[in-house]
Amino acid sequence: MTLLRRLLAQPYALALILLILGLVVTALFQPAFFTPRTFANNLRTYLPLILLAVGQTVVVLGGGIDLSLGAILTLSSVVMVQAFGMEADPGPLRTFGGVALGLLVGTLAGAVNGFCVAYLRLQPIIATFATSFIWGGLALWVLPQPGGNVPTVLQDFVRAYFLMPFSLWAVLAILLAWAWFLGTRWARALYAVGGNPQAAFTSGLSVERTRLGAYAAAGLLTGLGAFFLTADIATGDPLIGGPLTLASVVAVVIGGTRLSGGAGGIVGSILGAVAYYLLKNVVALSVFNFNLSPQWQTLIDGTVIVLALAAPGLLRLVRRQP
Amino acid sequence: MSETLLLQAQRVSKRYGATIALQEASFGLRKGEVHALLGANGSGKSTLAKVVAGVVAPDGGEIWLGGQAVRFRNPLEARAAGIAVVYQELSLVEDLSVQDNLWLGHEPPARFGRVDARAARARTEALLGLFEDVAGPRFAPETLAGELPPDERQLVEILKAVSLEPRVLVLDEATASLDGRQVERLFGLVGEWKARGWGIVIVTHRMEEIFRVADRATVLRNGQVVGEVRIGETSREELIGLISGEASRALHSAEARASAPARRTSPLLSLRVRRGRKLRGLELEVYPGEILGLGGLHGQGQSELLLSLFGALPGQDLSLRLEGQPRAFRHPSEAMRAGLAYVPGDRNREGLLAARSILENFLLPSWKSYHRGPLLDLGQARRAALEVGEKLKLKFGALDDRVTSLSGGNAQKVVLGKWLLRSPRVLLLDDPTKGIDVGAKAEFYQLLAELRAQGLGVVFYSSDDDELLSLCDRVLVLLEGRITAELSHAELTRDRLIRASLGVKEVVSGEP
Repeated sequence: MTLLRRLLAQPYALALILLILGLVVTALFQPAFFTPRTFANNLRTYLPLILLAVGQTVVVLGGGIDLSLGAILTLSSVVMVQAFGMEADPGPLRTFGGVALGLLVGTLAGAVNGFCVAYLRLQPIIATFATSFIWGGLALWVLPQPGGNVPTVLQDFVRAYFLMPFSLWAVLAILLAWAWFLGTRWARALYAVGGNPQAAFTSGLSVERTRLGAYAAAGLLTGLGAFFLTADIATGDPLIGGPLTLASVVAVVIGGTRLSGGAGGIVGSILGAVAYYLLKNVVALSVFNFNLSPQWQTLIDGTVIVLALAAPGLLRLVRRQP
Repeated sequence: MSETLLLQAQRVSKRYGATIALQEASFGLRKGEVHALLGANGSGKSTLAKVVAGVVAPDGGEIWLGGQAVRFRNPLEARAAGIAVVYQELSLVEDLSVQDNLWLGHEPPARFGRVDARAARARTEALLGLFEDVAGPRFAPETLAGELPPDERQLVEILKAVSLEPRVLVLDEATASLDGRQVERLFGLVGEWKARGWGIVIVTHRMEEIFRVADRATVLRNGQVVGEVRIGETSREELIGLISGEASRALHSAEARASAPARRTSPLLSLRVRRGRKLRGLELEVYPGEILGLGGLHGQGQSELLLSLFGALPGQDLSLRLEGQPRAFRHPSEAMRAGLAYVPGDRNREGLLAARSILENFLLPSWKSYHRGPLLDLGQARRAALEVGEKLKLKFGALDDRVTSLSGGNAQKVVLGKWLLRSPRVLLLDDPTKGIDVGAKAEFYQLLAELRAQGLGVVFYSSDDDELLSLCDRVLVLLEGRITAELSHAELTRDRLIRASLGVKEVVSGEP
């Protein structure tokens, strides 16, 4: 009971509720979802969004937002694919060099966003929306059409199973890294800059550097997401990342991180990302079960997203009534 | 360069556009000295303190620290040089704990960029211990800064500066939101810090504090230094004369209090609280044409009482009557329609739209009355705003200037003026003169007297006992959400007020 109450008091209570709701409905209508194999496959599909959501959380905590994460993921992914070449085993240099190059490109793109926001003082929403076209355009230049190949060693890596699926290990690693991060002065700086930039400034922190760092970190995490996605689908696609931007924001919001910055964390965003996919799955299931025509899917998806975004505000409205 | 001078500002100038904030201002701080910077709002004393702290870069002049010329490009450099500042505008991050706030930017380091949590904790407890017995139970390392009341936040702010172990400590209006015991404790500590050789710069409006704690004072007026005095060799009158530039003494003019007591007709407003947020069973009546003061230590429920009257704290067990009619305000808009007006204490947070013009701020609550068909009647609105501005003796450039172009005292007049435009019957004032200068205060008192003469009922909370004593017809003293005394006429004395604030018995009901 007390545990339940403590969970409900967490900022990510909403994500948890949606997650459980999604799991229950899925369990009722699609029991096969939970067979180990399907489950592991699904988790692997969720992993890129989880990383984007974590990156988005870092940026949002620092008082910004990055609407180009999906485009960065695409760019990073196509760079990797081009670096790998067409052979199944291009050798360790091209394999690991390709991954490293992709991560570097992601980090740089994030840093450019951060520079625009922190030093040029552009509005985060506008600046990153604009740069998303740069990253997207670059991605089309690097790889004009879907194609390319991913070394088998990488494909096997993300499908590895050691006691539990690889994706769970990855999430565990992220959580451990986050726990470490929270004990550092950089975490204090990030929360302070997002919560009250003036206070951070007068406390002698560099607001600009902190913001730049947050965006660069998000770029790196997005690069990692690009790696998982690319290794999973084993090919390149210059338009793959688009829908993930909004999804990452949704995950952050239902995960309880305050959009204006300074409060929240990645646990909620990870739960939020999984909940997002489960809800989408539920929508797909209902479209199928009720014989709706598939074009309804987008409309329902959108409605569900808006409701999820509105839920924290609605909860507050309900709580305020005496 | 004299050896004894720890810090020296030499001919420092600063302009903001056309406004000259500082003009060749100089002052010197000795080791182990408390040096007060005095002046009305807009005199440049805060700017001077900010130049010393590296927050504001001067256009001209030099800062010498320990015999060396220094040039701070940001607060970090000033801090590294040993200058710590307690800011007037609170600079805490509400979502971080007290401990994280204290050490923000200079966390005790452990390996790999981590914070040495144990060391931070121990030092935090030692620092909080300095004020433990004059603060509430939530004054603890893990409490979020945003959950603390303003006075305790200010204490954290002070400790944050102290945690730097500075050579120079700048207290910029640091006592404005503290209660008497907290100020007492702070001044005790200032004595200790002085003995350690720190130089302490204090910026304040409170005259009595200067005489309590300062050794010397530099007085500024219109950005220029007009005098430096040893506190032991000066008088209150001389200082006020220097500050205002006139011999006249505006403060506490006794005539502000009408000699005739308010006519005890039927009450304009009466409130009975059985149980509320912070309020625990109290009753009060406000009569037309009287100024009812609320006194007591900080945070004893005075603000909550005002907000309850204004309908901003719904869901409490209370009953309210306006001119005898029972009313229940569930939202400030309902109280406004009934003729109530509330002037908040924190004008920047609750009172003003910083990015908008003076005109818009004035008319925010009353646009409804200025329109012709669906369009706003700007001409009429301007005339009304100008009229109120004149009545308030508002010093401003143009109605379309941003409200942030005004000094603190003038900004507060706008907060008051926007309600006067609605011609309210009851005025609720929540510590309205906090941090505004002597001259603006005097004008404000004058205005209150006029409003009272017009038959308004005014409920006036002030953290300044002198104001309560000189302005109010009656004063209710609150302690922990209850009224401990009602003082009026002969009983309205400083001694009784302080006793009642501290809950010392002896004072019985002051009903005539």
